[in-house]
Amino acid sequence: MMLILGTAITLAGACALFLAALGVWILPDALSRQHAATKAATLALALICAGSACLMQHWGWSGRALLITLFLMASLPASSQMLARAAVVEQNGTL
Amino acid sequence: MQLITFSAFFLGAVSLAAAALAAIRLIRGPMQADRVVALDIFLACAIALCVAIGLINGRALFLDVAIGLAIANFVATIGWARLIEQSFSTFLHKKRKRP
Repeated sequence: MMLILGTAITLAGACALFLAALGVWILPDALSRQHAATKAATLALALICAGSACLMQHWGWSGRALLITLFLMASLPASSQMLARAAVVEQNGTL
Repeated sequence: MQLITFSAFFLGAVSLAAAALAAIRLIRGPMQADRVVALDIFLACAIALCVAIGLINGRALFLDVAIGLAIANFVATIGWARLIEQSFSTFLHKKRKRP
């Protein structure tokens, strides 16, 4: 039961990662590309870590997956804000 | 065991396809910020590949590599964003001009 749940969550995370890359490829503007990349990639990595923790069922694996998820959720908004600032400065010359 | 192998191979194939899509954007990005966004997707694919090889191998060692990749992703994105912002900003160039 946990194996089926973990497989479903991992496959959903892989599809979200592919959607993030598709958004980076397709979308027309720099800010919209960055918007598509960061949020979908955060969701995808959180789903992949949760699904692999459900698949393996080991404390070391689950703790490391939780650590990766917490670090990504703490760090990706900051880097996303810096990237949006850099894109606006590159377009306009000032902020 | 069968489900673990299937999900690991599916995860690896999909993240390689996502890395190929990000490589297209990395090559022909019109702005520098697009290239940094593509690098961000690249490192997300690298973390997913680390999880996939850890699922195949059954060791938690590869998740430590994934933690290191996440930290490198954060530092690289912050550094490149600061570099782009300071190199394209006209205000800072005027302010820093010395007599």
